[in-house]
Amino acid sequence: MARDEALLLSESSAALRLYGWAPHAVSLGYFQRLADFADLPAGTQVVRRLTGGGAIHHGSEITYALALDAHLLPADVDQSYALMHDAIVRAVRAIGGDAHRLEHGPAPGARPHDRWCFAVPGRHDLVDAAGRKVCGSAQRRVRTPRGPRVLHHGSLVLHRPSLTPFVGAIADAVETSRHMELRERIAVELAACLSLELDRDDLTAAERALAASLQASRYENPAFAAMR
Amino acid sequence: MRPNDRSYLKSHEWCKIDGDVATIGISDYAVSHLSDLVFLDLPNKGTNVTAGESFGEIESVKAVSDIYSPISGEVLEVNKDLPDNLEWLSEDPFGKAWMLKVRMTGKSSDLMNGAAYDAHCTAEG
Repeated sequence: MARDEALLLSESSAALRLYGWAPHAVSLGYFQRLADFADLPAGTQVVRRLTGGGAIHHGSEITYALALDAHLLPADVDQSYALMHDAIVRAVRAIGGDAHRLEHGPAPGARPHDRWCFAVPGRHDLVDAAGRKVCGSAQRRVRTPRGPRVLHHGSLVLHRPSLTPFVGAIADAVETSRHMELRERIAVELAACLSLELDRDDLTAAERALAASLQASRYENPAFAAMR
Repeated sequence: MRPNDRSYLKSHEWCKIDGDVATIGISDYAVSHLSDLVFLDLPNKGTNVTAGESFGEIESVKAVSDIYSPISGEVLEVNKDLPDNLEWLSEDPFGKAWMLKVRMTGKSSDLMNGAAYDAHCTAEG
């Protein structure tokens, strides 16, 4: 999370970060109340995201964080989701998986405000053939000295996490041995839909330093998780 | 054409200045591009806001966005009913959905009039 925010605030026009979770953990949407998760099993690690939406139990999944200049995305938030989710659908299908984007799902405003991101699929969400949500995502939009910037977080479920067993999972249809390939396809398809070239790289020294600072001040600080 | 009795920031906030008090809100363009709004966090009366810096956060179903102040000064009044009536932002973004009244000590140098802001919105698409 700290690295994602460091990339959001960085000087690079666009950066994509793919990662997993060890240990498995729950991330809260930026506006969610920690008190609403008092029933989590003892020892569950909880972190607050910078992005909004519902909570996610991050188990076996591909998490992606795309931090980029806002002008590289459609100005309309809905359209930006459609563009990137269609890219994820192409990646999933490329390895024989099943997912499609809900074009005419329930109007977002009419959705019940469930505490879990994956509980009720809405318009633009990715679901499997059974209608179970398989990919959740959320954005943060800020202005930096560089200009307007967007952080787009996404979680594509590989195996069902224990706290949210109602979700769809890529492993239902695709062998685990192909999950690494899926990760690569996600990078390729996201770059292609944004007309960007992929260049494998690591965080700069400045981004690493900022991430370390944010980790200490924010993401590992219990006060941040408990701020609401 | 958006109201010309106030000024705008590129980040889609407006301010209407009356003497040394400025009323602040966000534009119809911001509201329509955020889509369905679910949460708004505003500062308390008595806090200080700074021109160009974030004073609040707004969550739509799909994005959290910072709200930036066109004005520096002390918050005199907060539209406390707005967070519970977010539909006002769609219905009347330049009136009933005002967010803060601020005793102004300074303002952003990047403020635009209504015509320039219209052109900015057209360029953003």
